[in-house]
Amino acid sequence: MSSSVSPPEPTRDTDSLNLTRRRVLAAAGLTAGAVVLPAATAVAANNGPSGGPAMRHPDDPPAPEGGLPALPSAGVVTLNRASFGPAPGDLAAFEALGGDDASRIQAWVAQQLNYQSIPDPELTARLNQANFESYGVSNDPDTLLATLWDWYDQGNAPGGNSSSGVPRDEMTRATWMRVMYSKRQLHEVLADFWRDHFNVYINHSSWARITYQHLDLILRQHQMGNFRDMLEAVARSPAMLYYLDNYTSSDDGPNENYCRELFELHTLGAENYLGVLQQHQVPTDGQGRPVGYVDADVFEAARAFTGWSFHYGNNDDDSGLFLYRPSWHDRFQKNVLGVFLPQDQADEKDAKDVLDALAEHPGTGRHLARKLCRRLISDHPPQSLIDTVAALFSAQWQAPDQLQQVYEAILTSDAFRNTWGEKIKRPFEVVGSALRAGAADFTLLMDDGDTSSFLWRYDDTGQELFNWPAPNGFPDVLGAWKSMTPRVACWRICNWLIEFDDDNGDYYLDVVGQTPGGVRSANELVDFWVDRIFGRALPTDDRTDLVEFMAQGFNPDFDLNLGDEDTALRLRALVGLMFMSPEFLWR
Amino acid sequence: MTTRRGFITGCSAAVAAFAGTNFNTVAFGDPNGTNEDILISVFLRGGIDALNFVLPIGGVDRGHYEAARPEIMIPTAGANAALPLGGIFGLHAGADTVDNGNPAPATLYDLYQDGHLALVVAAGMHEDNRSHFDSMNFMELGTPGTLTTPTGWLTRHLATANNLPPEITMPALAIGNLQQAALRGSTETVNMTSPDSFSLQVGPWQWRDAQRTTLRSLYNGSSWLHQSGYDTLDAIDIIELNSDGGYTPANGAVYPGGSLGDHFETLARMIKMDLGLRVATIDYGGWDTHEGQGENGGGYFLSHVETLSRALAAFYTDLDGSGANNYTSRVTVVVQSEFGRRLRENNDRGTDHGHGSMMMVLGGNVNGGVHGTWPGLANGQLFDGADLAVTTDYRRVLSEILIRRMGNPYLGEIFPGYTSYSPLGVVSGPDLPPIYGPEIFADGFESGDTGQW
Repeated sequence: MSSSVSPPEPTRDTDSLNLTRRRVLAAAGLTAGAVVLPAATAVAANNGPSGGPAMRHPDDPPAPEGGLPALPSAGVVTLNRASFGPAPGDLAAFEALGGDDASRIQAWVAQQLNYQSIPDPELTARLNQANFESYGVSNDPDTLLATLWDWYDQGNAPGGNSSSGVPRDEMTRATWMRVMYSKRQLHEVLADFWRDHFNVYINHSSWARITYQHLDLILRQHQMGNFRDMLEAVARSPAMLYYLDNYTSSDDGPNENYCRELFELHTLGAENYLGVLQQHQVPTDGQGRPVGYVDADVFEAARAFTGWSFHYGNNDDDSGLFLYRPSWHDRFQKNVLGVFLPQDQADEKDAKDVLDALAEHPGTGRHLARKLCRRLISDHPPQSLIDTVAALFSAQWQAPDQLQQVYEAILTSDAFRNTWGEKIKRPFEVVGSALRAGAADFTLLMDDGDTSSFLWRYDDTGQELFNWPAPNGFPDVLGAWKSMTPRVACWRICNWLIEFDDDNGDYYLDVVGQTPGGVRSANELVDFWVDRIFGRALPTDDRTDLVEFMAQGFNPDFDLNLGDEDTALRLRALVGLMFMSPEFLWR
Repeated sequence: MTTRRGFITGCSAAVAAFAGTNFNTVAFGDPNGTNEDILISVFLRGGIDALNFVLPIGGVDRGHYEAARPEIMIPTAGANAALPLGGIFGLHAGADTVDNGNPAPATLYDLYQDGHLALVVAAGMHEDNRSHFDSMNFMELGTPGTLTTPTGWLTRHLATANNLPPEITMPALAIGNLQQAALRGSTETVNMTSPDSFSLQVGPWQWRDAQRTTLRSLYNGSSWLHQSGYDTLDAIDIIELNSDGGYTPANGAVYPGGSLGDHFETLARMIKMDLGLRVATIDYGGWDTHEGQGENGGGYFLSHVETLSRALAAFYTDLDGSGANNYTSRVTVVVQSEFGRRLRENNDRGTDHGHGSMMMVLGGNVNGGVHGTWPGLANGQLFDGADLAVTTDYRRVLSEILIRRMGNPYLGEIFPGYTSYSPLGVVSGPDLPPIYGPEIFADGFESGDTGQW
């Protein structure tokens, strides 16, 4: 081993540590031409030629940027965007699904949509091994909720520790293992999407920590079904009722917080918000619907939701379950989104009418179509695809499999197959895909130092699970994740994972142990691990860099002795470099 | 090495062809005028209840205030009584709280009394929007009504400032996990929570140096990701070189526990590394007080105000040295929020989204006191019949800091569409005529990212 041989010098100018100001000046140059002055009248700007509002977020097409990666195989695309990255064997299984890309994607999507038919033995074994007290205690939402409430709010936890941290920490650990080990990967990607869409900040309160598993369960139970049903399930969940303050909203003074976000985030989206106009000033579409919403719609909807609460405190049956309080309900007539709600409707009907109006509104279809395409394809999906998906979403708003139809339309589109590198993985995907590609053998346990160590390091990335304080969920646009801290933190944890070992010195992500016996030269080692981690060839320069790192000046065809601890360390460091490389971040 | 001036000169022909006359004043600004001020933008996310922070303690509006806020009004006497600011205004008592275990030399209220803190009442944005996310983006992008602007106002300030040295090691710092929209599109911004975790001292130590060299090579490419990763590696090198572990605040400053205190401490530490910092951003969330914000001046809002006030006071104290350590003479902190909250409390002893808010400006060159025009709280004086009106456009305050402290008059670039600047008098410094004119870099380059979040 020669330590005097230096790795290749980068060709780029490195004589200064200064962050160059050159590019920012260029970036600012972009600005001036692109700044659009505020539209003088919001309504005029929103009133598109078709009678529907044009988006206030026009989402201009992306700028052509240099150096973007080549489009990889359909399997790589699919498994990096509709799953948390390929684990060993996943790409081969994908390839075996059909004779061409289209049929392979179609078959994979069909399999994943029918998720309950996919056996999931490894996840089950891991969860069993973790032996959680609360997680998975029931698949019936009400039973789960009442049980967790009894244990962690009322102080009757069977293990004697009634801290609300227990259900939160079990939820965190279980979610990591689902991402790492579940074969139902699309289900996990969608659960992540819907948790952001209906975001509740888990550390908002002890009640949020106690009820979060219930929220996750109802999202999972509805995400392959109907959006209107999911919307109502969330509206009735104590997690949302408490987080956005509806649980005490009464006719004495409705609390607007939940309804503000119901319109702006959960359904129509800010692009359909017309501000402080009066309701009668809002133009209508061909079917008489207002094209967007105004503050008065939010206020009126808040009246409709008065009395939607749950059982808590000493004066009720203290179960945490949903409770409609008729005496708190504003019984008088209301007008929301052009829908007239007469006085004294049946219990809960005012709010259900609001949810109907929102779920049926084409603006909701457009908002959800764009968000789903943004997650599954890119920040700037083709408008034609958004239009198609939005129309499907709205046309099928009452169908029991509405959402499955929507996902299928997106995932089998040409744009899905042909888009690559317009976004990078968020930290959850970076670390999740590293653990999957590295076939980590890691059961996350309660009261376990190694598990805590992993989570503590991961939480530096800025995407600590369920910990986005505001109701809009973790950002899902490239611009939000371009900054340095998430990158440095991801580099750090990825480079730490390759050395992560237990008390016996066994590696959780065993690079050396997984390297086949016949793979020993620098060339072979690089090619084996590149195939494992990326599922595709790297750009030539990248491969050369990695081979030179592994060979350290020796002939890259000579076999290396992995029994030598220094060489074994170098192989781990090689895999760490792959996880830290730009190519690993594209999605 | 490409220098800043070199770049501007190098592209002058192309830029001049598009932009015409104004270019020369930018490209060949006063070579002697190097500005060393530091502008720190603090954003209170969620919409601070400004009417419980700077509030009427006398006059007819005290009556309107008490009538609208029977449960959550800030008292004028007894525990948590508002701190008199002169005239009819008082400041929340949380601005004068000290940690009894670690008494700091000065509270925020002390700094007000010493003339280092300006409070601008009824400041905000005229846009009629009660959405957090729209309002924050409008403000931070510097383009009320437009969400698709590819760069933030601070990014454009740095890009147009013609009084900075050609090379700056670390001109911009975004404290926190993600980069704020005010710095959107900036590729020279370093974003961090703490210098201690901004390093690559992980992985097998025997191979760390070789790994880092290979990583540089892997990120040596033409995509934005390659360039950004390369810049990140540069930033890591700089910070590892300059953070020799540990930090002791100066002058007995005591930062409050929690992330806000940590973030201000990180910022002070980075300023003292003398890496050339010119702008920085810090966030403090948790102001969306729809429920249970606290009665009689206490509760949640009190503790939140205390944390904010203690962090600001500790930061000022820490930087308030003499000679080369007199950083406060170069620092201007501006605190704002996306909107204020409704005058009338809601039934949950909280407040819903409103309109007019307040701004705070803290620094060694601040003209302390209460500024702005109070619009009144009578029914007919409220915005939309419910909220404090906006009488001072937030851009007016920021523009004054840009001109008088940062020496940057290019308001047309930084706040396009804002053409009515006149100084309010919150800071001292030379006045330059604002330049609203042609866009100096209207050169048809590719547009940047326009995504929303």
